[in-house]
Amino acid sequence: MVGGILMTQDIHVDDFLTIFVSSTLVLVFGGFYVGIYTAVKVKLLKKWAMSISYLFWMLCAYCMYLMGSLMHVNDFTVKALVVAAIGLFLLPHAVYYMQDRVHEENEH
Amino acid sequence: MANSYLTSESKRLATWYFTFAAIIFGAQLLFGLVAATQYVMPSFLFEVVDFSVARMIHINALIVWMVFAMFGSVYWLLPDETGIETVGIGLGKLLFWAFAAAIVVVVLVYLFIQVGPADETSIWFIHEGREYIEAPRWADFAIVVVVLGFISNLYLTGMKGNRSGIVTVLMADMIAFAGIYLAGMFFTDNVSVDQFWWWWVIHLWVEATWEVFVGSLAAYGLITMIGAHRKVVEMWLWIEVAMLFGSGILGMGHHYFWIGTPEYWWEIGALFSALEPLPLVAMFIHVLYDWGKMQGEEDAKGKEHSVITNKPAFTWFILNAFGNFLGAGIWGFFHTLPQVNLYTHGTQFTSAHGHLAFFGAYATILIGMMYLGVQGKNGIKVMNHTKSSIWATCMIFGGVLGMTMALTVAGYADFIISRAQWGATWEGYFAGQGGIWYAQGMGWRLIMGVITFTGFLFLVKDLLSTGKAANHVR
Amino acid sequence: MANKSVWRDNRFWQRSAGWVTGVAAVLLMWLTFDTIPQITMGTDADLEKGVTKRVPGPTVINYKITYEMDKKRHHEIPVIGGANAEGTSSFQEKEKFFGRDDWTEEEAAEMLHLGKLGSQTKNCMNCHTILGNGAYYAPDLTKAWLDPAWGPEGSMQAMTGKDTKEEAMAEFLQFPSQYPTHARMMPNLGITAEEAKGLVTFLKHMSSIDTNGFPRNFGKIQGAVHGK
Repeated sequence: MVGGILMTQDIHVDDFLTIFVSSTLVLVFGGFYVGIYTAVKVKLLKKWAMSISYLFWMLCAYCMYLMGSLMHVNDFTVKALVVAAIGLFLLPHAVYYMQDRVHEENEH
Repeated sequence: MANSYLTSESKRLATWYFTFAAIIFGAQLLFGLVAATQYVMPSFLFEVVDFSVARMIHINALIVWMVFAMFGSVYWLLPDETGIETVGIGLGKLLFWAFAAAIVVVVLVYLFIQVGPADETSIWFIHEGREYIEAPRWADFAIVVVVLGFISNLYLTGMKGNRSGIVTVLMADMIAFAGIYLAGMFFTDNVSVDQFWWWWVIHLWVEATWEVFVGSLAAYGLITMIGAHRKVVEMWLWIEVAMLFGSGILGMGHHYFWIGTPEYWWEIGALFSALEPLPLVAMFIHVLYDWGKMQGEEDAKGKEHSVITNKPAFTWFILNAFGNFLGAGIWGFFHTLPQVNLYTHGTQFTSAHGHLAFFGAYATILIGMMYLGVQGKNGIKVMNHTKSSIWATCMIFGGVLGMTMALTVAGYADFIISRAQWGATWEGYFAGQGGIWYAQGMGWRLIMGVITFTGFLFLVKDLLSTGKAANHVR
Repeated sequence: MANKSVWRDNRFWQRSAGWVTGVAAVLLMWLTFDTIPQITMGTDADLEKGVTKRVPGPTVINYKITYEMDKKRHHEIPVIGGANAEGTSSFQEKEKFFGRDDWTEEEAAEMLHLGKLGSQTKNCMNCHTILGNGAYYAPDLTKAWLDPAWGPEGSMQAMTGKDTKEEAMAEFLQFPSQYPTHARMMPNLGITAEEAKGLVTFLKHMSSIDTNGFPRNFGKIQGAVHGK
């Protein structure tokens, strides 16, 4: 795939705004996902809020899909975006897991 | 210095660095205002201090004050981290004066000589005309000498004293920081090769080594200001280093889309740019998490008071975590993929991103370090906000955010006309500049710039006077 | 107390950070070794033999340069000396540059050297963008040589009273504030006639660099302003 075609057609002029808004929302929703996840784990929010955090991850993934499709991205960029989405999904899990363990070790 | 509670020479030297940094910060904002005014009123100082001159000083002052504040931060934290006085403090002081004098000469030459004939002499003695690293060649060598001295102090102190994780990261980071500068110290007729190496300096500074530096400062701040557990913080620091360098070094690809370099950089740039926001998200939650955790422990003991020992500094540290995510993360991400960057590259979008990213990622935390300096110098146990510090924080952060919003609107109007519709020609460019949204955006940017500068005045007032304020716990 | 897991061990993370950084740095260096030869400037012999280089040699100023959509790559590429059957450079068609189309390699290199020096010492990049990098106060210069404004149909030749693109550009560079094109004017930078020639060489050479299709649609869309 290296050295392939970047895009097969111009981005439609009217699509740019949607692209910018959706790519901003990718990180905003991603931030909400991570934030709510953390808040639940440190018991600032009740357990049920966890489902909302996953909802935000789904919104984030959808925005990424929307952004990518309007940009007519090539195959490789699709893969990069999927990796980023999965990375974001795993991130707070990993953070919480490690943070919690180390705190436990220090406190007991 | 009179009435100083500082017993460490290293910390005293740090306050010198902070002071000079604050002055240059002021110069940066002032020349930023000149350039912003010229967007609204092109005849302003035309052929006196042209946009190119004002902007050159604006961005060079930015780099210089940050480097000064970074050196100051290292001198500040070294005695705390290593447990000993910094080695070679006399050399440190000498280099401070040499560096400061060199900077003053460079700025005066920028301001009063401005341009020279197209020959090597101009490159050696006036400026190199390469954005961000315009410093003339003689100053390049002076900077190398100063930085080598600084690094040798850091290394000698780190090796002699207790080498904490933070110091280890700083040692590795600063040597890379200095080494990379060498990539920008040569002349070539080939503009593609020129920009290839130029990005080694700019990108590997601001998207790799500086970010790691900020990670170390954040770690130090969490330990000193809220008493976070060193082991947790340092483990996080290592993870941050892995994530930042892991995504940041090859994130270089997003600068190699259009400068003549091969197409495979599209893929590399896209992949690593998409990953670049992840460490910023992680940094943000880590700071909040640690804060919540420490406050929670304190609350559990039935104590009412906050765990934060320096409220203004901590505010700036929080704004750093947030601003970094916002400026470098969101504003970086939305124009980084090559498909969109093909249209947005080199428009006001870049400038919107640049303003918020430099401010959010670096200015905030360095201002926080200045507050730590004021606290230490005045022997304050718990430092609280004053009216000025709150005004300063709100106006500076609000002002920069406002400028970014205004530039984003202008950037959208700019690129959609000049790029998406006109294809970047001369005529298209000015069609874009003539748009009503563009003009509005530039007007608001100037207003927000004035607000930022007013906030800066409050900041200076506060840094100078808060040490004597009565509402701190001593 | 729980067993110490590797995930909670600082030394593990320290080593991981070292490895990740090392691998990324080595990859960057390896890619650099691949990229630098590809962007090294070509020679006059390359142009003569019809070898396409990403950054052609300085004597490219003897050729006609255009910017055409490439069917295979789906973006525009510089076409040097007219197009061949595939739509890429044929290196056939020459074009007079300051009255000559036989600049030797030494002469052209010398002019380009002067121009590149001038582009830095006159601080072009702090108003304009060069290859899209710089300030945004003035138009991008990447393909300025190909800009219709300087062409026979454009306004700049008439305004400066010159018959050719290169002479119009050189005239403008020397006396920019005499030819205001916009409220935002270019200041007088003390550019001499010789330096101006060098700078135009620099611009023409830059327009021949393969920038992967940046800027998109350059000069192809005219009058389609509905967002203004």
